[in-house]
Amino acid sequence: MVVGQQVSVVRAALLVWVGALLEAALTPLLEFGWVSPKFVILAIVVAAADQRDLQALLLGFFGGVLTDALGGGIFGVGALAGLAAATISMRAGAMRRKGGVAPVLTVAAALGVAVYDVLGLLAPALAGDAVPPLGTYLMAGVLPDVLLNAALAYLFGAWVFGAIVKKGEEEV
Amino acid sequence: MGRKKSNAASGLAGLVILCIASLVLFTIYVREDEGGPLHTVQLGAAEVLRPVRSLLNLAASPVQGAGDRIGNAFDGSREAELERRAREYEEDAAEAAGLRQENERLRRLLEAEDPAFDYAPLARVVAPVGDQLSDKFVINVGTEDGVKPEQPVVVGDNVLVGRTTSTVTPHTAEVMLITDQDFAAGVRLVPPDAPAEPPEGEAPYGQGLLQTGWEGYLGVNYVDLEARVEKGDFVVTSGRAGDRELLFPPGLLVGTVETVTSLDIDQYQKIVVEPTVRPADLQEVRVVVGW
Repeated sequence: MVVGQQVSVVRAALLVWVGALLEAALTPLLEFGWVSPKFVILAIVVAAADQRDLQALLLGFFGGVLTDALGGGIFGVGALAGLAAATISMRAGAMRRKGGVAPVLTVAAALGVAVYDVLGLLAPALAGDAVPPLGTYLMAGVLPDVLLNAALAYLFGAWVFGAIVKKGEEEV
Repeated sequence: MGRKKSNAASGLAGLVILCIASLVLFTIYVREDEGGPLHTVQLGAAEVLRPVRSLLNLAASPVQGAGDRIGNAFDGSREAELERRAREYEEDAAEAAGLRQENERLRRLLEAEDPAFDYAPLARVVAPVGDQLSDKFVINVGTEDGVKPEQPVVVGDNVLVGRTTSTVTPHTAEVMLITDQDFAAGVRLVPPDAPAEPPEGEAPYGQGLLQTGWEGYLGVNYVDLEARVEKGDFVVTSGRAGDRELLFPPGLLVGTVETVTSLDIDQYQKIVVEPTVRPADLQEVRVVVGW
């Protein structure tokens, strides 16, 4: 454990901003059916990983709102999903003390993306738009989407997390 | 690397408040009209993001082009030149078949004026947008070019590929493709060598609602079992989309009938349509701004 190590709020906010921008501009180019990288969820999971509760929630909420504004989808879906991702990432903190960063971020990202996908189906259904059958969507959309984004979190999550951490001088 | 905790009660209160805020945003967005504050924010963001999307699309185009070439290597029938010629042929044939019967009625409606369409300037596809449940892209023409919400978007003169949504800025417009599950258009199913009306005593031409099912195919719903429909018939717009009269002008070509099936217990025929243009291949389109 490193003493004096903390996540920079500014870097975390910047990471979420970049994630929202990529989600709005790059994700549509990388879609394969219902599967695509969820940059904003990955960014929120990493950014909220070691924040105070309220800071993490605000990062998730405003990251989601930014995605809603930039992406053109239904407003509120991104905000709620960002909030869920931040909450999951916060609660994963206890697990992190026992294991490495990457596995915990992977689990948090998988859960966050699953919530995002389900909200992405629920919101248009509530708004009266056409939606696919739930079973088909869960199997052909949510499941592969979760696997893809969990893999991305496992491969790059710890590295990005390291980039937003301000390291202290002492190590024990 | 221990997590810093704030007061648990304040964290929970924050979570509840932000959840409520998210639901309030959702409710406002769904209930407000297209000029509402949240829609306006999205319009502004779309305008701001246009250069970024253009750049990313440009950067991704070699990758997409390579993907297309690899796909074509495995499927010789999708040769680009052949597609272009086939599209031209189908356009001409559709004009000879579908438009022939619609022109007479349209002329009467327009009091003998020429029913030619008015187009906005040729538009380039900037980038795909939207969530994974939608099929939309942004083009680089907007209100300053005469484009308004809910206008037909075509390739060539009359091949329908989608319609503009409510997200139209001065320099951009969002287009919902015919393959989007929320797209719908009233269509007629016209034989390639069709006379203006079916001969006396024969079944009427099929009419129905063009939609893309969640199974992924483009189809025509609500076509009566008695209606005459055969493989190879042209699918052209009828000028109706549910209760929205003339959302599309009559006579725009969508594609050809690929399969027709029906069972005795069915109330309607099941029709699958092969679109004339694959939306994924689009690079330049035109918005029909007047008809």
